Amino acid sequence: MKLLEYEAKRVFAEYGIPVPKGVVIRAPEEVAAHLPDLGDGVVLKAQVDVGGRGKAGGVLFADAKTAVETARELFSREIKGVPVGEILAEERLPIEHEYYVSIAVDRSSRQPVVLFADAGGVEIEKMAEEDESAVRRVIVSPLLSDIPPFLMRELLGGAPEELAPVINSLYHVFQGKDAMLAEINPLVTTARGVYAADAKLIVDDNALARQGITVNRDLSEREREAEKHGFSYVELDGSIGVIGNGAGLTMSTLDLIEFYNGRAANFLDVGGGADQERVMHAVKLVASMPGVNVIVVNLLGGITRCDEVAKGIIAAGVAPTVIVRMAGTNEEEGRRLLAECGYRMLDSMDTAVKAAMEVSP
Amino acid sequence: MIYGDKNLGVIVQNITGKQGTFHTELMNAYAREVGGCGVVAGVAPGKAGREVHGVPVYNTVKEALREHDATASVVFVPAGAAGDSIMEAAHAGIELAVVITEHIPVHDVMKATAYAKLHDCTVIGPNCPGLLSPGECKLGIMPAHLARRGNVGVVSRSGTLTYEVVDELTRAGIGQSTIVGIGGDPVIGQTFVDVLARFDEDPHTKAVVVIGEVGGNLEEEGVRSTDLPVVTYIAGVSAPPEKRMGHAGAIIEGGEGDARSKVRRLRARNIPVASRPSEIPGLIREVL
Repeated sequence: MKLLEYEAKRVFAEYGIPVPKGVVIRAPEEVAAHLPDLGDGVVLKAQVDVGGRGKAGGVLFADAKTAVETARELFSREIKGVPVGEILAEERLPIEHEYYVSIAVDRSSRQPVVLFADAGGVEIEKMAEEDESAVRRVIVSPLLSDIPPFLMRELLGGAPEELAPVINSLYHVFQGKDAMLAEINPLVTTARGVYAADAKLIVDDNALARQGITVNRDLSEREREAEKHGFSYVELDGSIGVIGNGAGLTMSTLDLIEFYNGRAANFLDVGGGADQERVMHAVKLVASMPGVNVIVVNLLGGITRCDEVAKGIIAAGVAPTVIVRMAGTNEEEGRRLLAECGYRMLDSMDTAVKAAMEVSP
Repeated sequence: MIYGDKNLGVIVQNITGKQGTFHTELMNAYAREVGGCGVVAGVAPGKAGREVHGVPVYNTVKEALREHDATASVVFVPAGAAGDSIMEAAHAGIELAVVITEHIPVHDVMKATAYAKLHDCTVIGPNCPGLLSPGECKLGIMPAHLARRGNVGVVSRSGTLTYEVVDELTRAGIGQSTIVGIGGDPVIGQTFVDVLARFDEDPHTKAVVVIGEVGGNLEEEGVRSTDLPVVTYIAGVSAPPEKRMGHAGAIIEGGEGDARSKVRRLRARNIPVASRPSEIPGLIREVL
C-alpha cells in the first residue's frame, strides 16, 4: 500500500530523517494560522495518490500574502481526475543541490537495492535511460542492519558525506516498515543541513497487519470486501464473470477471453486451498455484478480440492449460467457432485471460454 | 530429473496443519506408487510424538534429522512464521527447502533466502506448488496424475497455470522430465535462471516450457541464460495496469514488466511465445 507524502514524512521523521516543517490542511483558511511558523515562502502540495503530481499542477508555491488564495485554488483542482481533499503546506527550503535516493526490492538478486543519483527532482527512469552512469546502484545484504561504509562510499561517489546518515536512516525505514519502496526525490542540501523534500513509501501488502495498517486504501471497497473472504478481485468492463484459482490461471483465462474477442467482467482468484464457503462467496460476488449472465469457473486443484469447489458452486445457487472446467485434486468427486446438480462441465479452458462466449458474446 | 530423485528423503514442516496433513498423504501415495522415499518425518513445534498418516512428528527440524535420513523439506508453515522455518531448515542442514506458503512478507523472504544461501540450502518458492519429477519424486502440491514421464522440462511462476500446461502436454503425448513451480512473489529462491541451469545439465531434458507472467524481467533473464530450446507463455496480456492480479508479483510496475512488452521482447529474440496454453504442445514439437 502506498502512503501519502505526509504520512511517509511522518515515518521518515520518526527514523531521524530531517523533513521540512509542514502541516496538513483540509480547508484553505487553515494555512493562515501556521504561516508564522512556516516562514514567508510556502509550498502547497496536494495529497493525492497519483504519479507525476507536480507536472499535473498538484504542487504550487506561495508566500505569506498569497498562501490562502493559492490553497483555495489548489483545493478547487482535480489532479489527474482525483479531487484534492488534503494539502501539505510546507516551509520553502533554501535548496543548494538536489539528489535522488531510493531503496527497492531487487527481484534478480533477491536483495535490497539502493539507487542514488547526483541529480534529483527528475524521473529516475528517464535519467537512467539518457545516461546510465548518472544512476549508481548497490545491493545490500538483507542480513545487515546498516549499509556498510564501503558500499555507501561507492554509492555516493563524490556526493557530500553528510548525505550518508540520511540514506542509512532510509535503509532503516525500508527494513523496519516492510517497504517495497522507500524513496527521497529530491533529497536536498541546504545551508542548514540535509532534508527529504519529498517522500515516497510503499508498504508490502503482506505485511500490513504487522505494520498496524488495517485498511488497504489501494483497493476499491468491493475489492476490500473480496479480500475479507480471502481472494483477490478486480473489476473490468465486460460481461463474462471469471473465477479461477491461482493468479496465473485466472489471468490466463482473461487473456483467452480477449483472444476470442470477448470481454471479461471481472477477475476473481479464490487463492490456494479455497474451501466450500470461500468458493460460495466468490460465485455470489461475481454473480452480483450487474451485466454478468455467465460465469466461467476455471479450476485446477492442487492445494485446492475440486470437491470443495463443487460444493461451493452448488451452495451459491446463483441465477447466471455457471460453466465449469475443473481438474486436479479430488476431480472425480467434484465432477460427480456438479453433474448431479446439472452443471455444465467442459474439459478444457478453451472450450469453457468458447461456451461462455455463446451465452454472452 | 533435477533437484532430486526416488532416493530423496523428505520432511514436512507444519505437518499437523490441514494442508500439511493432506499433502503429506498425497506425496507419500506418490512415493509408494513410484517406489520412492517420500516423507519420512514431520515437524510441528510442541507436537512431538504424534503421527500423521504414519509419519512421526518432531518438535524441531534438528530432532527430525537426528532420527531420519532426509535432505529436503516441504514448508507448509503459515506466512508469519514461514521465514523462520526456512532458516531453521537451512540451519539444521536441509539442502532443499520447497516453500508452499503464500503471503509471506517480502522482507522475511529476502532474509530467509540470504540465510539459506549461507548454509548452502536451495530454496524453491515461496508461494509455489513445488516440484515433480514424474516417476521419481513429488515435493509439494502438484496433482501428479496430470503428469507423465518424458523429456520436456516445465518451469513456471504460476501454480495452477503449470497444471494447465502439464495437462496440455500430457494429453498431446509429450511427457515431462521435471516440473518446477518457482512461485509468483517478487522475491523467490530459485529463479528461471537457476532452474534452467539445472535443466541444462540434466540429460533427460531436451526442451523447456517457461511460463511467466506480468512483473519483473526474470523470464528474459532465464531465456537468455540457457542453450536448451525454449517455448514460453506469458500470462496477463489483458491485465489492466496498476491493478494487482492476485500475486504480489503480478502487478505491472510503472510500465516495466507488462506482459505485452515482454512477449514483444521474447519474439524479437526469436523465442516462440504461445498466445494461449493450448498452443504450447505444438510449439514444443517444433523445437524438439
